[in-house]
Amino acid sequence: MTADVHIKAVEHRFKAFTALHRVDLQIGAGEFIVLLGPSGCGKTTLLSIIGGFLTPSEGQVLIGGRDMTHVAPKDRPTTTMFQDYALFPHMSLRDNVGFGLRMRGVGRAARNAKALEMLEMVGLADKAGRRPHELSGGQRQRVALARALAVEPDVLLLDEPLGALDLKLRRQMQEELKAIQRRVGTTFVHVTHDQEEAMAIADRIVVMNHGRVEHCGSPEEVYLRPRTMFSADFMGETNRVPVTPSGGGVSSPLGPLAIAPAEGMLCLRPENIGLAEGFSLGRATLVEAAFYGSYHRCHFRPLAAPDMLLTAHLPQGAHPGLGDEVELFGRNPAVLASEAA
Amino acid sequence: MRYLSWAYLLALFAFILLPVVTLVIFSFQDGRLPVPPFKGATLDWYREILTDRALMEALANSLIVALLSALVALTLGFLAASGLARVALPGSVVMRGLLIAPMTVSYLIIALGLLQMFNKVGIRPSLLATGIGHVVINLPLCFAILYAAIGEHQKSALKAARDLGAKEWQVLWFVAAPMLTPALAAAFFLAFTFSWDEFIIAFLLTRFDVTLPVEIWSMLRSGLSPATNAVGSLVFLVSVIVVVALELTLFRKGSK
Repeated sequence: MTADVHIKAVEHRFKAFTALHRVDLQIGAGEFIVLLGPSGCGKTTLLSIIGGFLTPSEGQVLIGGRDMTHVAPKDRPTTTMFQDYALFPHMSLRDNVGFGLRMRGVGRAARNAKALEMLEMVGLADKAGRRPHELSGGQRQRVALARALAVEPDVLLLDEPLGALDLKLRRQMQEELKAIQRRVGTTFVHVTHDQEEAMAIADRIVVMNHGRVEHCGSPEEVYLRPRTMFSADFMGETNRVPVTPSGGGVSSPLGPLAIAPAEGMLCLRPENIGLAEGFSLGRATLVEAAFYGSYHRCHFRPLAAPDMLLTAHLPQGAHPGLGDEVELFGRNPAVLASEAA
Repeated sequence: MRYLSWAYLLALFAFILLPVVTLVIFSFQDGRLPVPPFKGATLDWYREILTDRALMEALANSLIVALLSALVALTLGFLAASGLARVALPGSVVMRGLLIAPMTVSYLIIALGLLQMFNKVGIRPSLLATGIGHVVINLPLCFAILYAAIGEHQKSALKAARDLGAKEWQVLWFVAAPMLTPALAAAFFLAFTFSWDEFIIAFLLTRFDVTLPVEIWSMLRSGLSPATNAVGSLVFLVSVIVVVALELTLFRKGSK
C-alpha cells in the first residue's frame, strides 16, 4: 500500500545533455512529495526514472528497499497519473479503472466492485458506464486518479496532472488530491512548476534546477528559509539587500540593520515588510501602490538608498498616501550567500 | 459560371463512370456481342457465368486470397507500426523507409522478383505464392496507414497500459487495436480491394488454380462476349460493397 523511495546518486544523460546530476533523495513511506522547478530542470526525468520509463545512466532507485533500477514499469509497485490523462477512450469508466486489476488476473466481479469503490472515492460512481469523452477535464482527471490507485500501488507518480485545468478547478483538485492521499496513505510523488500548488499540497517540496536538487524541505522551510537564491526566487517574490557583518548586526545600503551578523544577500518576502514589528529598515517614501484585494502592493524608495525599490504587501486599508515618508520594518530575515544568479 | 461548373461536374462524372456504365448495360445484352445497338435485356449471361465451374472457382479463390492476404498484411503492418511508434531505435527512419519502399516499385517488377525467388526456394506458382505476393504489395500500405494513425494520444494510452501491468500482447490487443479500429478497417478494406483487383502478380504466380482477374483475362482471349461484361459487373459490385462498407465504418467514426 505504501513504500519509501530511495534515489541513490542518480545521473541521467540524454546524448550530450545531462538532465540529472547525481541526485540523492529519500522519500518516506506515505509522504506527499512535490518535485518543483522550471521546465527543463529534470523533475519529469526523475519521475520517469522512478516509474521505470527511463533507466538512469548511473545510480540506483530503491522502492521499499528493493532495487528497481532495471525493473520494467509493469513490474514496479508504482503507477503514474499522466498529464494528458491517457484514459482508454473505447472503455467505460468502470473498465478503465478496472484495467490494472484485469491485467493482474482479477475476476470481473471483483474488479468491477473495486472499480466502483474507486469511482465512489472520486465522486463519479454514478457515471461508471460512461465513456471518457462524455466527461469534463476535471472528471477525466479523477478517473485517471481512480485508475492509478485501483491497483493499490505503493507509490503514485503524478506528472503535472493539474496543468490542463483552469485555476479554480485546479485549486479544488489540489485539495481533493491531498485528502485522498491522506486517506489511502500511498506515497505520492507529484511534479509541477507551480509553486503555489506545491505549497498547497506537499509534505515536502524538492526544488530542482538544472538537474540538481536546490532545496528539499517542508513548504514553510522552503518558502521562509530558502537555502539558495534560486529557490528563494522560485518560491515567490523577494526583496534583496546585500549585507555585511558589522558589530552586533549588519551594515547595508539601508544603513545598519539589527539582525544576526552574516555576509551575503538579505531576502525579505513582500509580506514580511510592514509599518511596525520586527527590525527597522529605515525610512522610505511610498512611490506606488496598487490594491490586490487581500493586500496592497506598495513600492517604497528608501531614503538611504534612493536607487533601490522595496516591495511590500500591506494589509487592507493600511497603506500610507503616495509620497508619504514612513519607517519600514522587516520580519523573518533570511541571509543567503550571494552567488552569480 | 454556375451552369458551367455543373456542366463540368457532369462531364467529369461521365468521363469516370461511362466505361463502367457501358460495361454493366451490355452485360444484359440479348445478343452475341456486347456492342451497340442494345438489342434488349436478358439475364442469360449471368446465368451462364454463375453456372461456369471454372469461373466460380476463380471467384472463390480470389475471395480467399484477398481475405487471407489482407489479414496477414494487416497483422504484420500493425505489429511493425506499433513497434516503430513505441521506441526510437537507431535507424528507425531507415526501417520505416524500407517498409514503405515496395509501394514505389511496379507490380511487374515485384512479380518477376518473386517468381525467380520462389523458383529458387521451390515454391510452385500457386494461390499461396500469389497470396504472398499480395502481402508484399499490401504490407507497406497497411504499415503507412497505421503508423500515421498512432498519435501522441495513442502513445500515452499505451504507456499507461504498460504502467498498469499489461504485457506487450495485452497492450496491443486490449488498447492499441481497439483505439486504432478505424485505421485498421481502412487498411484492411484497401488491402482487400487491391488484392481482389490485382492481375499482374496473380497472372505470373498462378498456374492451375487462378484468381478471378486471371480467369477473366483468359475469357477475353477467346473474344468479346456479354459474359465477360457480366463478370466485370459482378467484380465491380463487390468493389462497390467494400467501398460502401469502408465509408460506413470510417466516416461514421470520423464525424462523431
